[in-house]
Amino acid sequence: MSKLGRLNRGETNIDFLKWWKIGIAISVFLMVVSVGSLLTRGLNLGIDFEGGVSWEVSAPGVSVEETRVALEAVGEGSAKIQIVGTDIIRVQGPESTIEHTAEVTKALAELADTDPANISFSTVGASWGGDVTKSAIRALVFFFIAILIYLSIRLELRMAVAALVAVFHDVLISVGVYSVFQFEVTPGTVIAFLTILGYSIYDTIVVDDKIIENERLVGQSGRLTYGQMTSLSMNQVLLRSINTTVVSLLPVIALLVVGAGIMGAVTLEEFSIALTVGLLAGAYSSIFVAAPILVWLKEHQSKFKVIRERLQSQGVDVSHAAPRVDLVGAGVATATSVGSSATEAIGSTTGAAPTVAPSGVIPPRPRKNQRKR
Amino acid sequence: MRRFRGFGSLIAIVVVAGAVLLYTLVAGNKPLLGLDLQGGVSVVLKPVQEVDNDTIDQAIAIIRQRIDAIGVAEPEITRQGNNILIQIPGVKDKDRALELVGQTAELQFRPVLANVPVDPQEATTTTSGDPAATTTTVAPEASTSSTTIDPTKTVGGLPLDVCTAGLTAEQINAAGQAVLPQCADGLLVGSYAVGPVALTGSALETARANLADSGQWTVAPTFKSGDDGIGGFNAIAGQCFSKGSTCPTGQLAIVLDGRVLSAPSINSASFQADQIEISGSFTERTAKDLATSLKYGALPVEFEQQQAQVVSATLGKDALHAGLIAGLVGLIAVSIYMMAFYRVLGLFAVLKLGIEAALLWSIISWLGANNGLALTLAGITGIIVSIGVSLDSNVVYYEHLKEDINHGRSIRSATDKSFVSAFSTIVKADVASLIGAALLWWLTVGPVRGFAFYLGLSTALDLITSWAYMRPVVKLATRSKFLLSRPRILGLPAEKVQERNNAKASTRPTAEVSQ
Repeated sequence: MSKLGRLNRGETNIDFLKWWKIGIAISVFLMVVSVGSLLTRGLNLGIDFEGGVSWEVSAPGVSVEETRVALEAVGEGSAKIQIVGTDIIRVQGPESTIEHTAEVTKALAELADTDPANISFSTVGASWGGDVTKSAIRALVFFFIAILIYLSIRLELRMAVAALVAVFHDVLISVGVYSVFQFEVTPGTVIAFLTILGYSIYDTIVVDDKIIENERLVGQSGRLTYGQMTSLSMNQVLLRSINTTVVSLLPVIALLVVGAGIMGAVTLEEFSIALTVGLLAGAYSSIFVAAPILVWLKEHQSKFKVIRERLQSQGVDVSHAAPRVDLVGAGVATATSVGSSATEAIGSTTGAAPTVAPSGVIPPRPRKNQRKR
Repeated sequence: MRRFRGFGSLIAIVVVAGAVLLYTLVAGNKPLLGLDLQGGVSVVLKPVQEVDNDTIDQAIAIIRQRIDAIGVAEPEITRQGNNILIQIPGVKDKDRALELVGQTAELQFRPVLANVPVDPQEATTTTSGDPAATTTTVAPEASTSSTTIDPTKTVGGLPLDVCTAGLTAEQINAAGQAVLPQCADGLLVGSYAVGPVALTGSALETARANLADSGQWTVAPTFKSGDDGIGGFNAIAGQCFSKGSTCPTGQLAIVLDGRVLSAPSINSASFQADQIEISGSFTERTAKDLATSLKYGALPVEFEQQQAQVVSATLGKDALHAGLIAGLVGLIAVSIYMMAFYRVLGLFAVLKLGIEAALLWSIISWLGANNGLALTLAGITGIIVSIGVSLDSNVVYYEHLKEDINHGRSIRSATDKSFVSAFSTIVKADVASLIGAALLWWLTVGPVRGFAFYLGLSTALDLITSWAYMRPVVKLATRSKFLLSRPRILGLPAEKVQERNNAKASTRPTAEVSQ
C-alpha cells in the first residue's frame, strides 16, 4: 500500500540515474539484436511487397494438408498455406493470370464447400508494396522534420532531439520484433508503425513539460544537477506515464486479443501487433531513452556543467552515480527553502510523514482568505 | 447565475453533440462502409507508360462505361496521382469485373455496312444535335435521341438503353462484323453495323480541334507516314469513297472501346497525312472530345493491375463485427480502469468519450453520405486507438490536479490552476499527434489515409472536448459541497484535503462554513 500510495502521490523516489544506465544497456542490447536479426533473418514480407495472389476463405475443419491436395490439382501445390484466426485458410501464391486466379478460387470454394462469392482474394503487383513503403518512408522523413521544428519551438531543441532519438529507437526495435519473431509485414503494419510515431511522442512531451516546470522552480537555484532534476520529474509524473500507457494499451490489447485472437479478423491482427509493440516501446523509450539522452545533452551545456561541478566540489552531493534517496524531498526543499534536515526526514520516513503538509512546490495563494463574499 | 459563469462551453458542447446526433439519426445517415467491411472489388491500376492528364481522364471514362455495363451500383473510380483506384461494392461477377477494368481500350477505324439512326417517334420527345460528322464537306446524317428510354425496344439490333447499360465484352472485342452504338450523353443516337477493323489508333499521330473560318468546329487528325499510317487509312478510304461491297455506305466509323464516336462519309479517294478534316455540326465540346479520343487512341494507355482485392461479403461482415466487439471490450476495460482509479472524475472521462463518440459518429455519417468517404477497417482501428488519445488528456489533467492538491492547494484553486498547465501539455501532445496524422494523410495512399484521417479527426475532437467539456465539468464537480467534502469519491487524495481543512479550521473556524 505504501508504495502504491507514494506512487499515487508522485512521491516515489526511484533513482532514475541508476536505472537509466540499465535502461540504456537494455536498449543498446535490443537494438543490436534488432539490427543483427534484420541483417541475418530479414523481414517476413507479405505478398504486398513481393507480388502475388492471396486467397482467404472461412473453412472450419479443413486442414492445411487437405488444402494442399486440393490445390495441387490446379497447379498451386507449392503455394503457402496457413490457417489464420480460428478457421480462415489463407493461401498465397505467385502472381498469375486472372483466369488461373479464378480456377484456384473455384477449387478453394469446392474444398470449403461454399460459393466462390464467399472467397476473398487479392492480387498484388510487386510494385504496390514498394510504393506503399516509399510513401511511408517519405512520410517518416517529413514527420521527423516537422516534429523537430515543432518541439524546438514549443519545448526546446535538445528535447526535440532526444524525443526523436527515442522515436528512432522505437521504430528500430519494433521492426526488430517483426524480424525476430518473423511476423508478416503488410501495408497495415507499416500504417500502424507510422501512427505510433505521433503517439510515442506523447509520453515524452508529458515528461518534458514537467522538466521545464521544475527547471523554473528547482533548477535555477542550482541545488540539483540536470540529471537529478530530470529523475525528480520522472518520479513526479510516473503515475501519469503509467496511466496514459495503460489506457492506450487496453483498447489495443482488446483489438489483439478479442478482435484478432478470438474472432480471427486478420487485418486487425496486423494492426494490433504493430500497435502493441509500438506502444510498449514508446512508453519505455520516453523514460529510458529520451530522458537520459536529454540529460546527457543538457549536462554538456555550460550552465548545467557549472552547477554539477560546483555541487561536486562542495562534496555535498555525490551527484551522478549516487542514488540519493531524498531526491523528491530535495526538490521540495529547494523550492520552499525548508531546511535540508527536514527533507531527509520526508525522504526516509517515506510519505508516512504527513506533518510537513505546507511544504508544497507551489506556495499557497496569499489572497485566499479574500474569497469570501 | 454567477455560479455558472464559465460553463457556457459545457452547455454548448453537450447541446451540439446531442443536436448533431439527433440530426444524424433523423436524417438516417449511417457511416458508409468500406469495401473491406461490406465486401466488393477494389482495383488499383497503374499506367505502364508516362501519361498526361487528358489520357488518364479518358481512361477513367472508358473504365466507367465498362463497369456501368456490368450493372453495379455506385462504382467509385478515383484518381490517385496517375493511378486509378476503382472500388465496386458487393459486385457479383468479380472475375468479369477484374477482367473488364484492366483491358486496354483500342481505337479502331471500321467501314460502316449499314446504319440505323434512332427513330425520333420510337424514342419519344427531345431531339438532340447531330454528333455524327462528315469528312470535309458532306452533309451530316440526321439523328435523334430521347429522354425516356424503353430498354425492351431495340434499334438495329441494339437495345435502347445500351449506352447506359453497356456492351458485353464479346461485342467490344469482336474483330469481325458487329453492331455498335453511337451514344451522346448516355443516349443511343445511332446504331451501326460495321465491318472488320481496318486500322487501329496506332496509325494516328495526333489530333486537334479547330475553329474554322466559317465559325464551325472541326477535328483534324494527323496520321503517321507509311503503310501503317496514312497508307492504311487511304486504303480503306478508297474503298469507302467508291462505295464498294466492303464499305457500301461510304462512311468510315471511328470506334473507341466498342462505341462509334463518329462515322464521317469519305469524300475523297486519298488524303494527305496532315490534311484531313472532319467537319459536321460539332460544338466546341464535341469537337474537343473527339480530338481527345483520337489522341488517346493514338497512344492508348496500358494499365498494370497493381493491386486487386476481392473481399467476400461474409469476411467483410466478420471483420466489422470483430472490430466493433473488440472496440467495445476495449472501451469497457478502459472505462473500468478509469473509474476504479479516478472514481467520479473517471466517470467524467468516460462521458467525455460518449460526447466524442456522438460527434465522431455524426461526422463520419455525414462524410459518408455527402463526400462518399467510407469507413474502413483501418479507420475503425484508428478510432479505437484514439480512445487512448482521448483518455490520456484526462489522465494528464487529473494527475496534475492530484499533484497540486498534494502540494497543499485547495481542490477548488487546484482545479483552475492545474487545468492551465495540463491543457498546455495536452495541446503540445495532441498537436504532435495531429502533425503525424496530417503528414500521413497528405503523403500516403489508400488504407493509410483512412487510418490517418480518423486518428487526426478524433485527436482534434479531443482538443475541443478537453477544453469545452473536461474543464467545466470538473470545475462544476468541485463546486458541489457534497463531492468537495468527499474527495475520495472524486478520486483525489483525501488525506491531504483533510489535513488542509484541519489546518484551516484551526486558524479560521468560520471560513468554509460561511459560504
